[in-house]
Amino acid sequence: MAEVTIRDIVKRYGEVEIIHGVNVDIRDGEFVVLVGPSGCGKSTLLRMIAGLEEISGGEMRIGGRIVNTVPPKDRDIAMVFQSYALYPHKTVAENMGFSLKIKGASKAEIDAKVRQAASVLDLEKLLDRYPRQLSGGQRQRVAMGRAIVRDPQVFLFDEPLSNLDAKLRVAMRVEIKELHQRLKTTTIYVTHDQIEAMTMADKIVVMKDGYVEQIGAPLELYDKPNNVFVAGFIGSPSMNFIQGRIRSEGGAQRFVSDHGTVLPVRPLPVEDGHPVIYGVRPEHIALGAEGVTVRVAVVEPTGAETQLFSRAGEDVIDALLRDRVDVRAGDTVHFVIDPGRVHIFDAQTKRRLT
Amino acid sequence: MGSNRTGWLLLTPTLVILGVFGILPFIYVLWVAFHQWNAFGANPYMIYNGADNFRRLVFDTEFLESIWFTFQFGFFAVVSEIVLGYFLAQFLMRDFPGKAVFRTLHTLPLIVAPIVVGSVWRLMMTPSIGIIPYFLDAWFGYQLNIGSNAGAAFVVTVIMDIWHWTPLVTLTLLAAIVALPKDPFEQAQIDGANRWQIFWHITLPMIRPAILATVFIRLMDALRTVDEIWMLTGGGPGSATRYIGLHIWKVVFPKTDYGYGSAISVIVLYLTLVLCWLLYVGLVAPRNGRRT
Ligand SMILES: Nc1ncnc2c1ncn2[C@@H]1O[C@H](COP(=O)(O)OP(=O)(O)OP(=O)(O)O)[C@@H](O)[C@H]1O
Ligand SMILES: [Mg+2]
Repeated sequence: MAEVTIRDIVKRYGEVEIIHGVNVDIRDGEFVVLVGPSGCGKSTLLRMIAGLEEISGGEMRIGGRIVNTVPPKDRDIAMVFQSYALYPHKTVAENMGFSLKIKGASKAEIDAKVRQAASVLDLEKLLDRYPRQLSGGQRQRVAMGRAIVRDPQVFLFDEPLSNLDAKLRVAMRVEIKELHQRLKTTTIYVTHDQIEAMTMADKIVVMKDGYVEQIGAPLELYDKPNNVFVAGFIGSPSMNFIQGRIRSEGGAQRFVSDHGTVLPVRPLPVEDGHPVIYGVRPEHIALGAEGVTVRVAVVEPTGAETQLFSRAGEDVIDALLRDRVDVRAGDTVHFVIDPGRVHIFDAQTKRRLT
Repeated sequence: MGSNRTGWLLLTPTLVILGVFGILPFIYVLWVAFHQWNAFGANPYMIYNGADNFRRLVFDTEFLESIWFTFQFGFFAVVSEIVLGYFLAQFLMRDFPGKAVFRTLHTLPLIVAPIVVGSVWRLMMTPSIGIIPYFLDAWFGYQLNIGSNAGAAFVVTVIMDIWHWTPLVTLTLLAAIVALPKDPFEQAQIDGANRWQIFWHITLPMIRPAILATVFIRLMDALRTVDEIWMLTGGGPGSATRYIGLHIWKVVFPKTDYGYGSAISVIVLYLTLVLCWLLYVGLVAPRNGRRT
C-alpha cells in the first residue's frame, strides 16, 4: 500500500527521447489505468516504476521514498508482463510460489496461497504443468497468479488480459476489480481496451508519443476531453470529427463544415469564421423528423445497438442507436444532435474550446 | 520412393566413410580383444583366448591405477573448465573496450594441435629452462619439477587441459546464455530474488542442458587424452600421469600386446558409457519430475 509519485520523468535511449517529462500522482489504493496507442511509452513508464528501466530524468517516489536508484527487488512491487515472462523450467505452482519462496515463506504457507490464487484463476488442474504445456490464456492467468499471491506495495499490470477470449476477459476483469476492492492495493494497469479502462479505473492517464494528454476519472475524460486526441481515443465507437468554421449571424452561432454541412453548437467565445473541429459521439445522435439530412451507407445491427455509417454531403457522420430502427443502406434520414453534447476543438491547437 | 533412393544415394559416401573408418575398426577391436595377438612376438598369429584378456584386467593394478588417475584428471579438469567457462561467458556478455579482440584471443588455444600444446608446455615447465619454474622459484621460492614430483605433474596436466579447452566451454555456454529470454530474469528481480538466487533458481536451470552437453563432450574428450600428456610428462613421474589413453598406447605399441590393448580399449569405452549414463540418470532424467 503506497502512493506513487511520478515527477517530470524522462526516458532516453541514447539520443532518442521516448518519454518527455511525465507527471502523474497516484494516491494510495488508487486504480490507475494507462492508455494510449501502441508505442506511446506505456510499457516503458511501467517498467520504470518497476525499476527495470533506468530513469533518465525526473523523480519517482513509491510510498514517499525516492526509488530512482532502488533495484526492482527492493521496491516491493508485483508486475504482470505483457509477454507473461513465466519461468519455463518451473511448474505453474512453482512459478506462482517463487516470490514467496524467495521471501522464505514456509512450504505450507506457499502451498495455501498458491492454491487460493489458483482457485480464483481457475488453474487448479494445471498446477503441475510446465508453461510450454499451457495455452496463451492459461499462461496469462499464471502470470496474474504470480502477482496476486503476493501482498505488494503496488501492482503493475501490462495488458494482462490481452490474450483471453471475450468471456474470460470479462470474468478476469471483475476478478481484478474485486481483488482491488478487497486488498486496496495501489494498482497501475496498462490496456488497449476501452471498456477495461472505463470500467476498472479510478483514474485514467491518456498518453501519446511519450506525453500525458490528459488525466482524469473515466467519465470526466468521456464528457470533457481536453483535446482531439483524447476525444477520439476515449469512447467506442470513436467520436465523429468534422473540420469547419464557426459562423455567427445575428447573434446565433452555428457550425459550417468545409463541405457545407450545417450543425448546431452551443454559444462559444470565438469570433466569426474561427476554424474548429466539430466533435460529436455516435451515441449522442438520435433519429428525428428533421435535423441534419444524411444518407445511410452501411447499417450494422449488433442486437442491442444499431450503428449507422452515413454521410451528410461529403462529411462522414456515424450514429449509434440504442433501438432497433427500420433503416436500410441507401435511405435518407435526419440526425438530431443535442448541442449540449457537442465538443468543439480549435483546429489549430486541437485543444478544447470551452 | 524415388526421392528416398536419392536420399540414400546422397548419404552413401558418408555411410561408407563412417563404416570404413568408424564402425569396421571398432568391430575389429572387439574381435582382437578376444584374442591373444602379439604380431612381433614368438607366435605372430592371433589365438582365440575367450575372455582371458578381460579376466587379466581385473587384477592388473597398473590398469586400475591408471583408470583412477584418469578419473581424477577428468573430474578436476572438467569441473574447473565449466566453472571458469561460465564466468568467462558471463564476462563476455558485458560490454567493455577490446571485447572483440579478447574474445578472439581467448579462443586461440582451441586451434592449436594437442601435440604442439604438449611440447610448448613441456618447454615452459622444464626446470632450469622453463619460464614457469623460474618465476615460481623467483617469486615464491617453490621448486617446480614435474619430472620428479607426482602431485605437481598431475596438477600441471590438469591446468594444461583447462588452458586448452576452457575456451570451448566458454563458447558453448556463451551461446546458451545469449539465447536465454530476458523476461524471466526481470520477473525474478520483481519477485525479489538477489543475484545469487537468480543464478541458482533461474540461470542455472535454464542453461542446464547446455552445461550437461558440454560436460559430456569434455569428459569423453578428457578421458581419452593422449598426445598432450604424452608430450608433457610422458605419463610420469612413475605412472602418476599415465592416463588410460597413454596406458593403452604403452600396452599396444612398445609392448605390442594387441589383444590386451584392445580389451582395455573396449572396457574404457564401456566405462565411459556407464559414466555418461550415470550422469544422465542423475542429472538429466529427473529434470521433468523435479520439484525444488
Ligand atoms: N530499447 C529500446 N531502444 C530504443 N527505443 C525503444 C526501446 N524500447 C522501446 N523503445 C521505443 O519506446 C517507445 C515506447 O515503447 P513501449 O513499449 O513503452 O510502448 P507501449 O506503449 O507499451 O506500446 P504497446 O501498446 O504496443 O505495448 C516505442 O516507440 C519503442 O520503439
Ligand atoms: Mg506495451
